[in-house]
Amino acid sequence: MTVLTSQDTSPSPAGPSGSAGDGAGGRNGAGTGARRLRRIGFSALMVSPPVLVVLVFVGIPVVTGIAYALGYTGGPNEMATMLSNSVLRNNGAPTLDVFAKIFDDPLFLKGFWITITVTVVTVVVVTVLAWGIALYARLSGSRWSRILTGIAVVPMFIPVVIGAYAIRNFYLGSGFWGSVWQLLGVQMDPLSYHTSGVIIGQIWTSLPFAVLLISSGVAAVPDALIHAARDAGASMARAVWSVMVPMATVPTVIVATFTGVGVLGSFTVPFMIGATSPTMLGVQMVTTYNAYGLPQDAQAMAVVLFLMAILIGWGYVWAQARQARSSAVMN
Amino acid sequence: MTTVSAGIPSGPATVDTDGELADDTRQLTPAERRRRMLWKVLGALASAVLVLFIVGPLIWLALAAFSDQWTAPRLLPQSWTLDWWKTVLDQPELVESFWRSLQFALIATAVSAAICLPAAYALGRTKFPGRRVVLIGLFATNAFPKMGLYTSIATLFYAMNLMNTGTAIVIVQLLGTIVTMVWIPAAAFASVPPSLLEAARDAGAGPLRTFFSITLRQAIPGIAVALILAFLACFDEAQGTYLVKPGSYSTMPTMMYTLVENYPAQAAAVFAIALTIPSVLLLLAVRKYILGGHLAEGFQIK
Amino acid sequence: MSTGPTGTDSAELSTDQPAAPSPAPNTRTAAPATGSGSTGSTGATGSGPSGAAPGAVQADVAPTAGGNAEIPAGAEGLRLSRISKILGGRTIVDTLDLTVAKGELVCLLGPSGCGKTTTLRMIGGFLQPDKGRLTINGKDFTFAKPEHRPTAMVFQNYALWPHMTVAKNIGFGLKVRKLSAAAIREKVDWALDLLSLTHHRDSMPARISGGEQQRVALARALVLEPEVLLMDEPLSNLDAKLRVSVRETIREIQQRLGITTVFVTHDQEEALSIADRVAVMNNGKIEQLDVPAELYRLPRTSFVAGFVGSMNTLDVAPRDGGVPLADGTVLPCERMSGDAGDAVWIRPEDLVIEPEGAPGSTRAVVLRVIPRGHYREVLLQCHGTTLRSFTDTEPEAEQAVGVRATDALVYADGVLVQQ
Repeated sequence: MTVLTSQDTSPSPAGPSGSAGDGAGGRNGAGTGARRLRRIGFSALMVSPPVLVVLVFVGIPVVTGIAYALGYTGGPNEMATMLSNSVLRNNGAPTLDVFAKIFDDPLFLKGFWITITVTVVTVVVVTVLAWGIALYARLSGSRWSRILTGIAVVPMFIPVVIGAYAIRNFYLGSGFWGSVWQLLGVQMDPLSYHTSGVIIGQIWTSLPFAVLLISSGVAAVPDALIHAARDAGASMARAVWSVMVPMATVPTVIVATFTGVGVLGSFTVPFMIGATSPTMLGVQMVTTYNAYGLPQDAQAMAVVLFLMAILIGWGYVWAQARQARSSAVMN
Repeated sequence: MTTVSAGIPSGPATVDTDGELADDTRQLTPAERRRRMLWKVLGALASAVLVLFIVGPLIWLALAAFSDQWTAPRLLPQSWTLDWWKTVLDQPELVESFWRSLQFALIATAVSAAICLPAAYALGRTKFPGRRVVLIGLFATNAFPKMGLYTSIATLFYAMNLMNTGTAIVIVQLLGTIVTMVWIPAAAFASVPPSLLEAARDAGAGPLRTFFSITLRQAIPGIAVALILAFLACFDEAQGTYLVKPGSYSTMPTMMYTLVENYPAQAAAVFAIALTIPSVLLLLAVRKYILGGHLAEGFQIK
Repeated sequence: MSTGPTGTDSAELSTDQPAAPSPAPNTRTAAPATGSGSTGSTGATGSGPSGAAPGAVQADVAPTAGGNAEIPAGAEGLRLSRISKILGGRTIVDTLDLTVAKGELVCLLGPSGCGKTTTLRMIGGFLQPDKGRLTINGKDFTFAKPEHRPTAMVFQNYALWPHMTVAKNIGFGLKVRKLSAAAIREKVDWALDLLSLTHHRDSMPARISGGEQQRVALARALVLEPEVLLMDEPLSNLDAKLRVSVRETIREIQQRLGITTVFVTHDQEEALSIADRVAVMNNGKIEQLDVPAELYRLPRTSFVAGFVGSMNTLDVAPRDGGVPLADGTVLPCERMSGDAGDAVWIRPEDLVIEPEGAPGSTRAVVLRVIPRGHYREVLLQCHGTTLRSFTDTEPEAEQAVGVRATDALVYADGVLVQQ
């Protein structure tokens, strides 16, 4: 707002119109430059608080965290080092010793593979499920299909801790899962305290976001395009595959990347539902940090997670670039 | 449940792309009819499994909260009681955690609003070099696996002597709201048509008057949604708080982690439901926004 | 407005007049029901802007005679002197001069990107000129902010504030000026009545039709009693029928109140039927500023000729008192604007169709006849050249006829050649 107030208020340039016009032009030109600078300065001032918060509480921790994992134990990491049971120091040059140490640990390796498995399975299942629900709603258009979409969004309304707790109880031997099989007379292991339970929990918590995004992507495909494909002789399945799927690629990629990063960094779901050990890295990190008193090892695990997230984040950037391209064509 | 579904964008309802619906009017061969029947049955089964998958655990939890005696493998409690509610309400540490949660969430939301709303205005209404970098940079806070970030933050908090303080909790909760608090209001500010502002200036209103009478007034729904979503994110935040608060400051969600061991399952269920109520109420208030596809738009950088 | 000049001779536009609504009844009786007054002027050739006279309150508003005639200093409502605007490195408005008389309605007409909207926005204060000077009723407003200008704008999309009722929308500017509630009410009622919106006083803008929104936007501008009313393609979002009736309403009210008005449009028919004078713009310059009839009769440049009305464009030099066709035959023209140039343009209605062999005519074959209601559009093949004629006669396709041209415009390098 003050952007506008700060405008040059100088009203009428006096004098004969010709020279006044030129004079005004010159002055106004200079004024524009100063105004522009002031406006940029003001915007920068307004934007800076959240940027600073993010720089200080995300940027710095990430940098010092990576440094810690590379063996820089002093400076901001001094305090954590003092509280540690053991640290590996480098002698001036970054070292990968900490990574070598954690990758030598069979427990970490198991957690590493569990994390990858859970992430990949969750991303695939959530994407497929969300597509199924979105297509069902779009193609049948029935009241029931809309109710179903509404139900799929319910987990968004439930705090993750509660959802995870409910799922844990549901799939226990004494829960619904165990009871039903027992009543049917079938011997079945509980899914809680097991990786399969963790996957169920991840799917449950990730589904609403995926359904919302893919539904709106699918809904954005104009009817006319599908009609045209059907008109050209394509079956419904074919029309979906060659028209809807390509047009909703971007939301799909966004869903996959955000679900992937979310699962990688999750703690509550594996902590509540999963086995104590081995389990996903999110939980192992906390245990390593607090219970084992090995912040540096936890930090190295975090760096491993960052690297995995970068791989996934590349997909998001790619989707955005593609989006920008396609909208450029549309305009 | 119906209230939720009522907010779903009604776009698909008007769609008649469905070959099956369109075919309803003509005669079907027996083979076609069988195939459609099969699809219908499969569809119904899949829907039923999905509903059970989503809602089952919640119903199970709700039942537990009111159960007196319930032994496996029964699918319903044998006898019912409200005693567990009384038990939970009688536990000072549980009630206290509720008030503490509320307090932290309100503080974190207020701080977040104070920090982010001016930025949202600048990002939404002015063009300046580096605008896109800022937008994406803030968004990048979401690109870090949460727990990896929190362990890194914990190390910094140790260095800053913030570990196990209320400030640490506020900061951790605040971090989770920045994207919401910047992006949604920025979009709201940006979507006010410039001609509305020009019309106000034209009518004689100065910049400040224009801001309060038009811009802010138009952006209020977006800001309200951001405030509610941010409050909920703070109120429900568990994992970050759990890592930086060891001990003294237990919020409701972090209580859940330990409640499981320290209390009977029924009491935990009651506590869980109590924790869910604010979320459900507040989210129902903004469900139109969430279900209307705005959330999806928010994830696309412009 | 509040800071605008108040001591002008335009009594009813002065903010110092507490009972501004009161002149309205007087003017209403003064104004005969002549929504079509200006349309009539299209037919009158060479006379002054007949449209301005009947409704205008002030005696001195009408510019005398021809389009570019000097307007006496006292009668000058708005003056742009050598205004330039550069946006994104491109000169959008190029040393433009424009003077609008008090109570006059001038249309800025041109294709998109010609600078007409930019010019309007500079008058409104939403853009500041890079060069030049802008005065309203003699006072300099070149760099004044929009809220400090005695102008009011009707926006293309109306820009009604969606969270305010119709009455609140109209009254907002008065509230900003800190008028008493009673005064606001009186003025709002006057504006509502003026535009027959009284029954929508408490409606939200989204609940009323496009035509009504348009009228609210106009009411909101008029209630401020601006010295200059600015309209940015105000009719472009209405359907064709509504456009004509709203346009007549606008014209009628503008004349009744005698408000100096600048109206931007890309629709030549709209411009010709509503304006006292039309400024045809191209590449940031005014190609021609004239009363509608003159603009049509004597387009000074081939751009204006092509933009206003339709034309047979024969890009050949005139010869032997006529225009050579594709095979060299000369189509005789009774009156040519000049006799040396590189293009001869003929209005379709100036191509007369007669029986084959009629004296002074050239033989042509009818290609196609398109009924246009009260006249017919006829495509002719005439010695290898395709010509278009608007006619009352009823030739049939493939019939042989005689063609003769009455008037032709000769251009050299795109500029009208006049003797």
